[in-house]
Amino acid sequence: MKKVIVHPERCVGCMQCMPACATAHSRSRNLFAAILESPVPKPRIHVGAGLYQEGFPNRCRHCDPAPCLLACLPGAIFRDEELDTVLIDPDKCINCASCAMACPFGVIRYHEDCHAPPGKVVAVKCDNCFERQEQGLIPACVEVCKVNALTFEEPGEALKRKTDEVARSVSLGVSQAELPAGFARFALLIGHKRKELHVGRP
Amino acid sequence: MKHVIIGNGIAGISAAETIRSMTPDADIVMIGDETAPPYCRPMISMVLEGSITGERLPIRDADFYERAGISPVLSHRVSAIDVEGKSVRIGGERPIPFDRLLLATGADPRPIRAENRHLGNIFFMRTQEHVRGMLQALPQVRRALILGGGLVGFKAAYGLLRRGVEVTMLIRSGYPLSQQVDSHAGRMILKELVSRGLEVRVETDVAAFDGNGAVRRAHLSDGTEIPCDMVVVGKGVLPALSFVPRDKIAVDLGILVDEQLRTTAPDIYAAGDVAESMDIARNSRWVNAIWPEAVAQGRIAGMNMAGRTVAYKGSLSRNVIRIFGLDVMTAGIVNPPEDDRYKIVSAIDRRRRSYRKLVFHEDRLVGMTLVNDIEQGGVLVALIQGCIAVRIPGEKMLAPGFNCRRLFI
Ligand SMILES: Cc1cc2nc3c(=O)[nH]c(=O)nc-3n(C[C@H](O)[C@H](O)[C@H](O)COP(=O)(O)OP(=O)(O)OC[C@H]3O[C@@H](n4cnc5c(N)ncnc54)[C@H](O)[C@@H]3O)c2cc1C
Ligand code: SF4
Ligand code: SF4
Repeated sequence: MKKVIVHPERCVGCMQCMPACATAHSRSRNLFAAILESPVPKPRIHVGAGLYQEGFPNRCRHCDPAPCLLACLPGAIFRDEELDTVLIDPDKCINCASCAMACPFGVIRYHEDCHAPPGKVVAVKCDNCFERQEQGLIPACVEVCKVNALTFEEPGEALKRKTDEVARSVSLGVSQAELPAGFARFALLIGHKRKELHVGRP
Repeated sequence: MKHVIIGNGIAGISAAETIRSMTPDADIVMIGDETAPPYCRPMISMVLEGSITGERLPIRDADFYERAGISPVLSHRVSAIDVEGKSVRIGGERPIPFDRLLLATGADPRPIRAENRHLGNIFFMRTQEHVRGMLQALPQVRRALILGGGLVGFKAAYGLLRRGVEVTMLIRSGYPLSQQVDSHAGRMILKELVSRGLEVRVETDVAAFDGNGAVRRAHLSDGTEIPCDMVVVGKGVLPALSFVPRDKIAVDLGILVDEQLRTTAPDIYAAGDVAESMDIARNSRWVNAIWPEAVAQGRIAGMNMAGRTVAYKGSLSRNVIRIFGLDVMTAGIVNPPEDDRYKIVSAIDRRRRSYRKLVFHEDRLVGMTLVNDIEQGGVLVALIQGCIAVRIPGEKMLAPGFNCRRLFI
């Protein structure tokens, strides 16, 4: 199944993906109308800077098993097996932020959203644009990224393994000894193309 | 293979589901003294507060046991274990034999010693039933007294304040949540609660209650008295292990478990609030009675019981609380001992009303307190849990825009 893959070394920090994401999750699906909506649509992808000021688009990894899912008190977070996507049910969410304490990537935000009951603050994160995908479109962040820092493709086995190792080590509370050899637990946090980071070194 | 699980809280449920997913035909028996379908214990305080109703508490469907192929034995309390004979006893009934046993009995509220503590409207807050009782009493309640400024006392105070009840809290230290937060964050919380009407009395305790049927007054250890028509006892919890034979199964504060969540008796495991495991940040044994550890321990105990050897990396105390205008997240060691090897880095931002503090032990992050800037908290928790040497200066981890990619060179 195709996945959004992040290539931080290509990111130029233009932040185009953020309004594209917010628009894709707005009521009107139109940038100019979206900014007038209430609640104001917010992005589920956040561009920050890495250690060498390289751009860093940060979004949900849809970990398996997902640490946030296991920590969620009311069971609002679930995995949609068909979409291979971790989703949050806004009706069940109690805005307790247990998931913020569990997500090793810091990608969950808390605010009102047009997909949640009016006036209710809920946990919000990337949903892999499943509504767009159902219409045959690719995720909005990928579509708008001009430098291919975000791509939509079949993930390599190695990448998938790394994400899952990080997730497993955090979510299950399993000790390192038990994990397959050769995987530092934080391999993913370092970025899967660590070498290329040196490009941005001052 | 016959698995018996005592306790149908989240640790027991997580273990049962794990065993079932790994061994489709094993026998699983679950014994629990609460009858309701599995529910979310932390959310009972939201029922008190009125932000949700009791119907929102269940976290599994009513037919959970049936669908998971579990034989439930509900409304029963285990009274004894025969370690050699491999069976558990429920009152006078026939013993239930086991091949593998999981002790997931959670914790009970720590009792108090005051005189006349059996008067009406004096509550613990641990179960759905307790909160139901509190809600029944609520219409007659104008002034409530909370004993203890721990997590549960604190949540009770918050809930009652939101219900418009006048609340007085008695605490031993100078601020609430003193086990969870440091003094600066504690004072921020205190200020917020006081501004919403909470009255706090420090360094005093209750000696006696009086009233006619229901409580009317509390007499304090300092000689003063407080009128009150409801009392909530929130003095912490104690592992529920009165039925455990201490000569056969080693017990400290909780039931001692090893890396595979095994007790010292063969084929007997323990998980959740009842278990005492290695604490990652403190590097010593500790009972970390919190939901995410109950889930993790239940799952790992379940895997080991089902025959797959998996090691648990240890527990970590942590909590996140949202009250009125404050978000508070803490993990690991928040008040380090006086010792050169501990280093503290902190940042206060008055504009954003935020306060963040990191505690390092040599080059490892071992604790944090975050007030009002909690979104990256999970990154820090993962770092503590991973016992990973931090190679960037602590100040950088508090800088605006910190994210998980800044951690490594
Ligand atoms: C008001 C409140 C708020 C909380 N808020 C939070 C929070 O925000 N975050 C957090 O992480 N944690 C929170 N907690 C703690 C959390 O609820 C516990 O850590 C968690 O429920 C532990 O799960 P457990 O399965 O180990 O034990 P329990 O949930 O206690 O389940 C044990 C079960 O075993 C049964 N049992 C006990 N003895 C026997 C026996 N002899 N025979 C048969 N059955 C028995 C008990 O009746 C109980 O149903 C809160 C707790 C309370 C009370
Ligand atoms: S833990 Fe974080 S990255 Fe992983 S699925 Fe949950 S929100 Fe996404
Ligand atoms: S904030 Fe919502 S989604 Fe996150 S853990 Fe709490 S209930 Fe679950």
